[in-house]
Amino acid sequence: MHTFFLSLGMGLFALALLCLYRGVFGPGVLNRIAGICAIGTKTLIILLLMGFIYDRVEMFIDISMVYALLNFIGTITAAKYLEMKGEV
Amino acid sequence: MTKVTDDIIIRTVARVLVPFIQLYALYVIMHGHHSPGGGFQGGVILGASFILYLLTHGIEEAKLKMSEMKAGLFSSFGLLIYSGIGLLCIILGSNYLDYGKLSTLLKVIPAQARSLGILGVEIGVGIGVMAVMFSIFFDISTGGEVEEEQ
Repeated sequence: MHTFFLSLGMGLFALALLCLYRGVFGPGVLNRIAGICAIGTKTLIILLLMGFIYDRVEMFIDISMVYALLNFIGTITAAKYLEMKGEV
Repeated sequence: MTKVTDDIIIRTVARVLVPFIQLYALYVIMHGHHSPGGGFQGGVILGASFILYLLTHGIEEAKLKMSEMKAGLFSSFGLLIYSGIGLLCIILGSNYLDYGKLSTLLKVIPAQARSLGILGVEIGVGIGVMAVMFSIFFDISTGGEVEEEQ
């Protein structure tokens, strides 16, 4: 079962790298924000998979909840920035 | 950053979410000894809840909940709790932040006194970090344009 979780995590990591490319080189601010948010959700799932691999999922679920929370606030802040600058 | 948003979805979601975020922050602070987290992390989450409120409800409404003066007072108060517990240990004849000696004051065994002492320190750190996080965001988002209150 560990091999399954490990390969799943590595696949998600590869997808996160693709999103990182979109976040760095993406044309325009909107593509960058979408890329960063996608990286956030992937990191959350990778954290939970790490919890399953180390058999301490009740510990890692705290970290992943904090990560989801800060990701949400970051998205709202970025949207607020766009609203202020009037790019949309 | 300080303008009030007119989006009812964001305002409602933030209003419903903020108490749960604060409850979770208290959980992180209280369970600092046997799960990840502690004073600093819980304080950051607690500060994030106030930052979310400031982002969605504008600066005028956020000032009613947490003003600049309150943030300054809370940051000093958190530091006072931290250093006060440390100094109390010195007064009782031990090292700085050596909670074992608190057992004579709390009338419990030394192991329990250590647990209670670290909990008190973490509460102080959480309050201080929350106030400082909010204060930094407040100053950056207003850009120093809001006049000081007395």
